[in-house]
Order: sequence, then C-alpha cells, then structure tokens
Amino acid sequence: MSAMLDTADGPGPDAETLLTALAATVRGPDGRPVPVERVPLDGDAVAALCGAAADGPGVVVPDDDRLAARLPGATAAIVVADRAAGGGVALVARATVDHTHRVAAEAVAAATGGLHRALAGLRAEAAVIGALQSVGRRLTAQLDIDTLVQDATDAATTAVGAAFGAFFYNLVDRFGESYTLYTLSGVPREAFSRFPMPRNTEVFAPTFDGTGTVRSDDITSDRRFGHNAPYHGMPEGHLPVRSYLAVSVISPTSGQVLGGFFFGHPEPGRFTGRHEALAEGIAGYSAIALDNAQLYERERNLTRELSRSMLPEAPAVPGVELVTRYLPASTGHKIGGDWFDVVPLAAGATAYVIGDVVGHGVTAATVMGQVRTAIRSYALLGLAPSEVLRHVSALLDAFADPTFVTCFYAVHTPGDGLVYANAGHLPAVLRHADGTLEQLGEAMAQPLGVGSTFGERTAAFPPGTDLLLYTDGLVESRSRDLTEGIEWLLAAVVGLPRPITGEACDGLVATLTGGAHDDDIALVAVHRTA
Amino acid sequence: MTVGGPAERGSFEDEPAGTVALDEVPEGVVLTVGGALDLALAPTLRRTVERAARLRPRLIVIDLTAVTFLASSGMAELVRARRQLRGEVGVRVVATGRLVLRPLQLTRLTDELDIHATLADALARG
Repeated sequence: MSAMLDTADGPGPDAETLLTALAATVRGPDGRPVPVERVPLDGDAVAALCGAAADGPGVVVPDDDRLAARLPGATAAIVVADRAAGGGVALVARATVDHTHRVAAEAVAAATGGLHRALAGLRAEAAVIGALQSVGRRLTAQLDIDTLVQDATDAATTAVGAAFGAFFYNLVDRFGESYTLYTLSGVPREAFSRFPMPRNTEVFAPTFDGTGTVRSDDITSDRRFGHNAPYHGMPEGHLPVRSYLAVSVISPTSGQVLGGFFFGHPEPGRFTGRHEALAEGIAGYSAIALDNAQLYERERNLTRELSRSMLPEAPAVPGVELVTRYLPASTGHKIGGDWFDVVPLAAGATAYVIGDVVGHGVTAATVMGQVRTAIRSYALLGLAPSEVLRHVSALLDAFADPTFVTCFYAVHTPGDGLVYANAGHLPAVLRHADGTLEQLGEAMAQPLGVGSTFGERTAAFPPGTDLLLYTDGLVESRSRDLTEGIEWLLAAVVGLPRPITGEACDGLVATLTGGAHDDDIALVAVHRTA
Repeated sequence: MTVGGPAERGSFEDEPAGTVALDEVPEGVVLTVGGALDLALAPTLRRTVERAARLRPRLIVIDLTAVTFLASSGMAELVRARRQLRGEVGVRVVATGRLVLRPLQLTRLTDELDIHATLADALARG
C-alpha cells in the first residue's frame, strides 16, 4: 500500500517517499542521477502521456512519441497517477538517461498491480451498488408508467455503457388486449420508427419468454443470429449492433414477462458480467415499479368505470327541463362517491336525489351503487321521503364497516309541489320565478348511517321555478370554507339563465372551482316549465 | 408525546399535511388535530384514537381548534370514535369557529357529539 499514490485518501507522506525514490532512479549513461523536475498533471495530461496504460497501475513510463508530443524537450519521464485527485505528477528529465528508471517503474507497477486491480474492482462494485440503489429508489416511487419506463431505459443504458438502449413493454388495454410499446435511450425515436416490432426470433425469444439474459460480445456472429426472413439479421438502416445485452423484466407478483431491456453497442466485446448484473438489477426494480404502476392504474380505471357505470341517464320528465352533471375530481386521482338520480314515480311524480358517500375509491363507489339502488327501491314502493331515508339509514347501519352518506331527496308531484327530506346534505337551492333564492333543507337531519329519524318539509314548485341540487365539491375546498362557498354559489345562481342550461351548469362549476376541483361534483338542475 | 405523525400524502397534493398529536394529561388523553382533517388524515386520526383507547383513559378529547378544513371523512371518524368507545371511554370534541362548526351543524352531528368550545372546558366537565 505504501507504494501507491492512487488511494482514496490521495497522496500522503508515502507518495512523497515514492516520488523521491523514483526520481533517484533517473540516471545518466554514467550511472549518476540526473536533474529531475516535477510537473503536475491534470487528468487529460495523464491520459495523453500514458494512453491505455493510464487505466493500469499508477506508475507509467510514457513512450517516446507521447513524451515528445506532450512534454517537448524531455528525454524521459515517469508519470505517477493520482486517480483520487484526477491527475498526477510527472518526473521529467531533460538530460540523456539510461534505462534504470524504466526498470524501477516497472518494478513498482508490478508490485502494486494486484492492489490496484483490487481497489479498482472495489470502487466499481461500490459504484454499481450506488447506481442500482438510486435507480431503484427512484423507479419504485414512480406510479406514472410513461415517466417510469423512460427513466428506467435512460438509467439502464447509462449504467451498462451502451451506445443505445430500448425497453419494450407490454400493456393490456381496457378490452383486455395486450399491446407493446417501447422507449429508447441514446438514439432518436426516428432511428427505429421505420422498423416493425421485434418478433420472437431466436435472438429475442429468451428475453420475451423470460428464459434468461442474453449477452453477446458480437451478436452478428452468434449462431442464433440472422435466421429469419425478411431481414436475416438487422434490417437495412438499423443502427449497427455488435455488442448485445438483453434482459427480461418479469413481474414479481404474476411471474409474467412485462417486457425486456435491449442494449447495443457498435463495437464488439463491450458488455461485461458486471454490466449484465447491473442490467438485471435495474430490470428487477423496473418490474416492481411497472407492477405497482399497472395495479394503480387498474384500480383507478376500475373505480372510474364503476362510478360512471352506476350513474344514470336522466330520463325525460314532462313539464321540466333537466340538466344533470357528474364531474370526477379534476386534480389528483381521487374518485369520489357522489351521485345523483332522477326516478319517475307513480302518478306522474318524480324523485330527485343527490348524495355523497364519504371516502374515495372502490369502496365508496360500491357503497354509492348500493345506496342508490336502495333509495330507488324504496322510492318506487311509494314511501314518503322521510321514510325512504329512514329505511336506507337502517340498511347502512347493518353494514359491517360504518358508513356515512349525505343525501337530499325530493319528490315533485305536479299540482302538489315538493316534499323533501335531507340527511346531512348541503341545502338545495330554490330560485323562485321572481328571482329570489331560498335554501331548502338546511341541517334537517344527520347523515344516512348515523341518524335514525328524518324530518320532512314541503315547498311550492310552480312553473318558472328552478331547483338546484349539488354536492360539496362545488362549494367547498381546502382554500375556501363552506359558509363562503355557499354564499358564492347563491350569488352565482342569481345570474343563471332560465331555464338553467347545460352550458350554464358547466360555467357555474368553472366559476366556483376555478377549473380545478379536487373533489368530485354532482349537480342536478330542475326547471319547471309547465 | 407525539405519536400520530403526518398523514400519508399523495404526490399530487400541495397543501401541508394535517397532523394528529397524542398527549396524556391527568384527565385523560388529548388528541390535537391540525390542518385539513380530510380523507388523507382520517386514517391517522382513527389509528391514533385506537392507540389512545388502549391507554384505557377515562376521557379522550379530540381537539379540532387548529383544524383548517373538516371534510365528511373527518366527521365520519368523529362519529366512529364516539360510537365505538361508547360505554367505555368518554369522547369529547373541542370545536370553535365556523370552519369546523358549520359542517358539524349542517350534518346535525352537533346533536351526536359532545362538543366544547375550549380544551379547558372539555377537560373540566365531569
């Protein structure tokens, strides 16, 4: 160790000893030491003087051509590299010399070569682990598939020192059909856009089948290469690939092959066992990350589809103009439990329902579906609003997991006005024909699943009147409290056209939420025409 | 002793996460909630209530004074705590200001929950 400059701690007292001892070996033809000058070198200078030998042990005697090019007038030099500092020192003689220094430098290099290689190996190993760890941390925190695959491709291509890399991955669309996409690194997309997707040829099969990593010093001389029509090898205009490395990405949960990484380099013999290990490591992280992203995506789509499929098409109701809206949260990924319903009843009556199941995601969506159906069922039995809510609340109370559902329920019977009940939902807004506003059902009862008794009230609903039902996403956000939100809503409703059109509803949402509602929103606007 | 750390947050949320802190006092356990008591923080509040209940206090006070937004998911947790611990531990809520009181009034949870204006008041009443 004492003979090495090239240590993590940089040159120390031992380095000084080494330099002094080496300087003493630079001798003239008479065997006596000649004057030696110390010239500090930067990394480029070390590389220029030593050539390929710069990667070897830290003591090198440059050949005459390199010496003349870099240090004109010098007759001999010994370069002592200090890799930790990214440079070194040259011991330079300008008098005629014999070959003693050459023998001495070779002896030092020979003595320290093993140590140097071990140290270089350890450093490379640490770099591999460091790179793997940071890539893994980054990838497994990513849920967006596009970002994830590009990041993985770039990281892997850099890590294995490939000229270019590609990641082909399979996704399943909402019809259950599988399709393949790819990302590239180190090369523009146009370089591959003219070629078909790689097929399951002998070269690609192990990767797409997940049967093992393929690493070749020269794929063009591999026995598996070039057997398939039409190209029998790489298509015309394909980037030249000699060194080839391909690794499967296999789902840790399903064991399915999710895709594969392919790396190429135009020169042969570029990929080592270390590169293979690195690529496999990154492929492992990519598999976990892809799994996560796909599961997440699936949950999101499932919930969205679920809540969409459970929302009704509002039927045409004689004597009213009806606008309904359901808007999923526009920011973030939350799917809520808001719903609305319009139920034709006996004797020309119609039930208007709006509600909100606490929580988000699949649970809220399924509870919403059940509550909507329960309300419909009790409504069709002809129960009074207060009774409908009482029965549904009792039903929810029997659920294993306590739920909390707010709901405004109103029945309009032509000639008879509105009868309504409210289980903890925001009050409805009634706009009279003269333009004055009235809030219906404020704080009448507790939510479904909490309360057990529900009151009932009536209101006149003559032609020219508007009834607006809404959920809290319209008036409430983290930056605006409920009281203020309701005031804003009332102020906005005054200015709405008669009847309230679909555009007016969309405008209302945009005005009140600034276009970014972080909760879902349901809306029902009923205008009595006759 | 603060045990209920910040709630898990989605990467899409820019608002600071709400917090729940647990403190043991001679009268029982005080859970101090801060920030938005919404879907993100509700599970933390539930776990902290469960942890508080395991200490077998006479009284658990959920202090909402520093709450800036009370969503229905937060209210649902207040009801859950009250109902699950009924007959074992008294559960009281400290709520003041319309940010917190208005949602509780609209849902008539003011009838259900034992609400006090100050922490001292909640701890004092026998």
